[in-house]
Amino acid sequence: MKLKGIVNLLPFALMLALLAAGCAQQADSTAKAPAQQTAQQADPNVYTGPIGGKSNKAKTISMTVGKGDDAKDVMLRFDDNTEGLEYAKKGEAAIIKWEQRGDDKYATIIKPKLAKLPEGVTEIKADELYKMLSDHVPMFLADARPEMRYDQGHLPSAVSIPVPLLKEKKAKVLPKDKNQLIIFYCGGYT
Amino acid sequence: MSTENAGLARQLGYTNVRAFLGGEPAWSEAGYPVYASNDFVVKGNIVLLDLRSGDAPVQGRIPRSVNIKYEDLESRMDDIPRNAPVVLYADNLDDVTDAYEDMKDAGFNTVAMVKGNFQGWVASGGAVESGPIFSNEIKWVRKLGKGEVSVDEFRKAVKGELPDTFVIDARTPDEIKELGIFTNTVNIPLDEIPKRMNEIPKDKRVFVHCSTGARADLAYRELIKNGYDVKFLLLNISDPECDCPIIIPE
Repeated sequence: MKLKGIVNLLPFALMLALLAAGCAQQADSTAKAPAQQTAQQADPNVYTGPIGGKSNKAKTISMTVGKGDDAKDVMLRFDDNTEGLEYAKKGEAAIIKWEQRGDDKYATIIKPKLAKLPEGVTEIKADELYKMLSDHVPMFLADARPEMRYDQGHLPSAVSIPVPLLKEKKAKVLPKDKNQLIIFYCGGYT
Repeated sequence: MSTENAGLARQLGYTNVRAFLGGEPAWSEAGYPVYASNDFVVKGNIVLLDLRSGDAPVQGRIPRSVNIKYEDLESRMDDIPRNAPVVLYADNLDDVTDAYEDMKDAGFNTVAMVKGNFQGWVASGGAVESGPIFSNEIKWVRKLGKGEVSVDEFRKAVKGELPDTFVIDARTPDEIKELGIFTNTVNIPLDEIPKRMNEIPKDKRVFVHCSTGARADLAYRELIKNGYDVKFLLLNISDPECDCPIIIPE
């Protein structure tokens, strides 16, 4: 396998950054819940969550805000003055500042929701991971997506450990050796 | 998800935890291989391509595979639905890797390989069938996703054969002026749905369509939230498959 040349690296890096947003959304909002609530109380005209879709023809964005039973989909309009429309991508998490105009909510500024790594966890990029796999560096590589997504296509030697499974079975589905290198990956918000 | 699991592992006392935030999309984008689970190769709703040439597929192949030798892949690419999950195998790494990259470049979203190619499949005890091949036609039908209405059912509704169904066209009035509207259909543009909710009967089933399905999906979410029994059509309505009667404006 090969990288298809340097030209691919820039969009690739950009994509990593964007995907990171989607990947980390769930964990991030769990970890930072208190801070986020404070922020939302301070500024109620901000929505944070995964984008459900965007229609350029209807100039409308749909996103899911809130968690669990409180989760609901909201619809926001946008116009030529809306900043950061490129971050309103289906399946990726975004932070949208909006204002009320008549009956409609208009998005004014859209920002990507960037990944925040948990304390003591470091990031790894595709090339480094590929090299480690090629060099047979001992590791426990785990796919955190739902099992269906794992079945469709997963990284070499990866095992399937969706978030609910790890929550339920805890260390039983992880290596015995607590110092073993463990690498988790996912596939954006979906 | 990866960070959530990484955080949990840290809490469980693991000391050496990393997260590959780019994940599977970044991995496959870089041209690195992804493998389908063997069980998925057997049962998944996939297009399974045998890229080998010559007599090999007749001698033994994975059941349900369609034989398109790698040299012919480019010319057959348009026979494969772009939204179909594709799984590839060959008898050498070069062919399967090239095919994987070609298909990614051509816009296929979900492409994976059989782990270890045909040899790996056999070694893992996977089922093999042999004998003459009568067809290399690709017969893949997408399964309906959450909230989707089938084209058949939608067509019945716009023909007036489903009296308890209310069909919404979520396109703009300009689009309808230009292209017409289906029979038995009411135009409520996506952005007007929240304020025109009172025009949508609660006691009927609701179908929504637009031009490709994107707006209909958003309308579906909005209506579900408001307690409607609703489905949406995920189809480009200019697709001949739709075949629904249209009222063309004068």
